[in-house]
Amino acid sequence: MGVMDLTEIIWCKHCNTVNYLDPYTFWNWKGKVKCAGCDRVYYVHIIQGFYYEGPKEMPPGEPYDIMPLYADKPLEGYESYKPGTPGRTRPYLCLPREIYLGKADKVKFSIRGRPVRGWAPQPPSSGLAGSQGFKWDIEKLSPDVWKEYQVKLRKGEVREW
Amino acid sequence: MREKVKPEIKFEEIPGPEELELEKMPYEEYCRKIFDPKKTFEKPEALKGIRWLSCTMYIFTPHSVSNLAELGAEVIKVEMPRAGDPMRHTSPFNEAYLYPLHDTRPFTGTGYGYFHANLNEYYISLDYHRPEAREIVYNLVRMSDGLTECYRPGTFHRWGIGYKQLCEINPRFIYVWGGGFGYGPKVFGGSYDILGQAQGGLASITGFHEDFGGHPVKHTNWVIDWYSGTMITVGVLAALYWRRKTGLGTMIEFSQVHCATRACGYGVPLYGRFGIVRQRWGNWDTQLCVHGIIRTGKSDYPNDPNPQLREEAKYVMVSAFQDEDFRELCYVIGRPDLWEKYKTHKERLKPEAQIEIYGALEQWASDKTRSEVVDILTDAGLLAMPVMNDKEVYECQHFRERGTIRWIEDPIFGDVLVHGGFSVGLLSETPRRVRWVWRPVGADNVRVYHELLGYPISQIKEWYDKGII
Repeated sequence: MGVMDLTEIIWCKHCNTVNYLDPYTFWNWKGKVKCAGCDRVYYVHIIQGFYYEGPKEMPPGEPYDIMPLYADKPLEGYESYKPGTPGRTRPYLCLPREIYLGKADKVKFSIRGRPVRGWAPQPPSSGLAGSQGFKWDIEKLSPDVWKEYQVKLRKGEVREW
Repeated sequence: MREKVKPEIKFEEIPGPEELELEKMPYEEYCRKIFDPKKTFEKPEALKGIRWLSCTMYIFTPHSVSNLAELGAEVIKVEMPRAGDPMRHTSPFNEAYLYPLHDTRPFTGTGYGYFHANLNEYYISLDYHRPEAREIVYNLVRMSDGLTECYRPGTFHRWGIGYKQLCEINPRFIYVWGGGFGYGPKVFGGSYDILGQAQGGLASITGFHEDFGGHPVKHTNWVIDWYSGTMITVGVLAALYWRRKTGLGTMIEFSQVHCATRACGYGVPLYGRFGIVRQRWGNWDTQLCVHGIIRTGKSDYPNDPNPQLREEAKYVMVSAFQDEDFRELCYVIGRPDLWEKYKTHKERLKPEAQIEIYGALEQWASDKTRSEVVDILTDAGLLAMPVMNDKEVYECQHFRERGTIRWIEDPIFGDVLVHGGFSVGLLSETPRRVRWVWRPVGADNVRVYHELLGYPISQIKEWYDKGII
């Protein structure tokens, strides 16, 4: 079994777009996926990386659950929709799993309860050519984490070790 | 006659030089004072004034330069625009990242695989392939003491930025090539840590013998990368000393696979003398018995949800090879017959004896936890130490007090736990330090290209738009 066999696709014949269903999300998944190239919605049921049902085209206007991460048009010079194209693909958040449970988790604090910049997206630098300053102004750049941190401080959840 | 007024001063109360004060202190107190981790940033840095270019990737060569940066050198890490060092994109199970990587990639972070190999450095981006890049490199070289690179042999030479060209610009320049094999029959061979461990012969003597179900084993971490990197640093320090005496630069050519051979100890010389090929002996020792790691019956964390603690916290290192210690061990485990059978070290060292002795030890430990085994043996005056995992290293007071592991407030990424070079030794006068773990790709482009080299901002913007930086 090759790697490609483990990646399911939806090839939309109306707009000739190949929607790639990444194994991380779709390994065991049931629901409706919107095509990145047009507004058609497909129902799929995937078990252990293989199609159990679908892809089945749904009636026009059907609400969808998720967009693919990446799609391309191999018959049109491989024009592609990169992750995070608005209205077409969803962004790649690269979120780590919650320990043992396998759910995506944003790690915002170290084990001693202090803020750590461990989630995406982060705001771009204000500098030229990718230049960055020497300080993460957490209160300004990540106000929600700052608030959460203040609560932790009050509760005594921030430790030295 | 004038009245003599002279306050009485005792000699012991006259304050002396601090060194004398320190000599009065007991050794423990003395060490705590001179190595105090809290005083790190009050002290000078040994390599301050050295500027180094790090054209490196992965762990091996970056670590060799990171060592210099921890000791105070100003290191400029040069990475490919937008992408950076490939090691930034590696992380345990693709889950542990710090963000951002670069302005143009808001959803990408730098993985924890990058840790400790690029500390305290300044980050610029530059695509060496472009003809425009050559002049930029020359200007950097004019203002720097050395460069470390890890491309295939001769690549920088082909691009006009090899040692042969650079020493014409700066005769004091120290140039390091670090890579897989180096010149010779396998000149184009690249390397990874695992390849180094295999080619160098190290993997063949790591792990248990096949008779015990073992196979050649690589270390889980990239030990040969870390070890080779440190050996490059040793070479660089020698080159700096040579330059101080002669005013001349050096080229250092460093093949990683040979470093693994060095770690094989007496293996190759043994072959040279007797024609014997050394075999794997796993958790036991070929020269000392008892001196190995045994498995006990119960974990110290029987109910922990983490399987690494629940199932694995069962191993103990035991050492009792001298006659009186071995005798004590045999009595503690209730097997005085073993002492009667193997009274001399030479007898204990034979493979049949080791199989019997370690078997008896594990049999005795099979109904005990790891801590119980350690306590019993330590109480008997024997050397025993649990095989600790990362959690236990983190919780170990000895590591904390000596500053081997430290929490730092990284200026960009927040709260991170580091060990860096602290784990290999403390320097009383010029301690190693960690200011930041890394910075985003190209974070210091303006600082280096504009403030150091004097290129106008408009030029930097143009390079950035063209993808040169």
